[in-house]
Amino acid sequence: MSGPARAGGEGAATVVKESRRACIVGVGQTDYVKRGGSAESEYRLALRSIMAAVAEAGLTVAEVDGLSTFSDERSGQWTLAGDLGLRALRFATTTAIPGGGGAASAVAEAALAVESGLADVVVVYRSLCQGQFARIGRALAPDRVLDTPPALTEAALETEALQAFTAPFGVLGPSIMFALPMRRHMERWGTTTEHLGQVAVSVRAHAARNPRALMGGRPLSLADHQASRLVADPYRLFDCCLETDGACAVVVTSAERAADLPNRPVAVLASAQGTDGPQLGAAMLNAGSTADAYDTGGGRSVAGQLYARAGLGPGDVDVAQLYDNFSGQVLFGLEDFGLCERGASGPFVAAGALDLGGAMPTNTAGGNLSEAYMQGLNHVIEGVHQMRGDSTSQVEGAEVCLVTSSPGIPTSAILLGRS
Amino acid sequence: MTARWFPDAMPRPAVNEDTRPFFEAARDHRLVVQRCRSCGTHRHPPRPVCATCGSFEALWEEVSGRGTLFTWSVVHQPFHPALREAVPYVVAIVELEGTGGTRFTSNLVDAGPEHLVVGQPVEVAWEEMGPELTLPRFRPVTG
Repeated sequence: MSGPARAGGEGAATVVKESRRACIVGVGQTDYVKRGGSAESEYRLALRSIMAAVAEAGLTVAEVDGLSTFSDERSGQWTLAGDLGLRALRFATTTAIPGGGGAASAVAEAALAVESGLADVVVVYRSLCQGQFARIGRALAPDRVLDTPPALTEAALETEALQAFTAPFGVLGPSIMFALPMRRHMERWGTTTEHLGQVAVSVRAHAARNPRALMGGRPLSLADHQASRLVADPYRLFDCCLETDGACAVVVTSAERAADLPNRPVAVLASAQGTDGPQLGAAMLNAGSTADAYDTGGGRSVAGQLYARAGLGPGDVDVAQLYDNFSGQVLFGLEDFGLCERGASGPFVAAGALDLGGAMPTNTAGGNLSEAYMQGLNHVIEGVHQMRGDSTSQVEGAEVCLVTSSPGIPTSAILLGRS
Repeated sequence: MTARWFPDAMPRPAVNEDTRPFFEAARDHRLVVQRCRSCGTHRHPPRPVCATCGSFEALWEEVSGRGTLFTWSVVHQPFHPALREAVPYVVAIVELEGTGGTRFTSNLVDAGPEHLVVGQPVEVAWEEMGPELTLPRFRPVTG
């Protein structure tokens, strides 16, 4: 494998044996359908996506000895291992990076297992049928009206105690939480709703070329975006991600094992996770940040560690998959990871930067906004396609792809490299 | 009869030993924030420990109730059935005067969403949500 050696800390030199270097060798997904559209259970889709990724890798399921996932994944590793007939499950993990912040971290933990020798073939998976369970967009709202308002109740958990300072004020879902830092960015830097709309429009154009994309057949214009209803200002309907039923998975193994497999391996060049400042859970976005850092994605320290570990900089990134639960999150990703100047992301995207042929082609499969809401593991899959050279919106000659997970909450990111 | 902006059936706070004094003070229309007894740092929401110095000792300091608008969102979609008649409403983060920049998430009331500006002065406006609960909202300072 070519590419720089991986470092253990910021600038530190914990060199991984080349033969153990982690590569992504297979990807798989079920059909992506609208929330409620899956005829099969979320758990069955988890099984199918894992089987599909392993088959695409040219491996057999029995060879899998690790399972890694993230967020509130309901399909448990040990149950899956039994149904998949694994000979041994030697590594099973769910990253503590919450929600959409964790897709890259789940890949990173799989890579750590492979590079340390804890496991040889780790599948990273996410199955999410919002039609069968609670809707994430409403997860913070107790969805009932009581006839008689009760007295103050005792908080059973710390998260519940924190929600006492959001829910009674109508902060009841991700769209509201994530709107707050974006509004401040707009007031401070002159970012506009049209800039946000351009993110949605550019990403939709990528989706139009991707047969897997849920919104592939639905062209979107800036006028359509501007005419869509307001959800939580500045976010309109078309600034918000999809609600999807589906599952997807990627297979991580060593460079040594990858050499015998049919696909061009995609190197995991580096990973990083964390936040820029204190966080009080997802209910209080950027609660502990300074006033100056409030209107960011809180990912600048993660970006610094990521680039240092890879021996690369923002200028080396050829294509990006930036987490997009809301359009403005892409702007935070661009700024935090140095792909444009701080505060300049609005004009940057308005100039067509995210388009194929633009300064930083982004979310080239359609992302959470237009492909599917697989909470960012679909971003990893598209990064793999870009590095293999077979994306439906291929960036010619691309050698490095940045994949980020959700800004605004504890987050993670990986750099993928063409081998 | 005090002013009302939100329905009784809004989600209610669940409290614990760290947060109960806040809601008790609010019943008396006193806006309080925690302040570390050891290093003097203000903090909100209430927490068991000071993230600056590690002290578990805190006092509750009454603040003026004035502040400035830090950011906001005008919410149009009711994410709770009780809010169907309340939308659009303004979620606002207020930087509280005299607290070293402590931010407080609440609502801006009696304000047209078209006139909001970062830094505009606001002041607390208490809303009686029933016999057990009083919540601090904020309104623009007039005159």
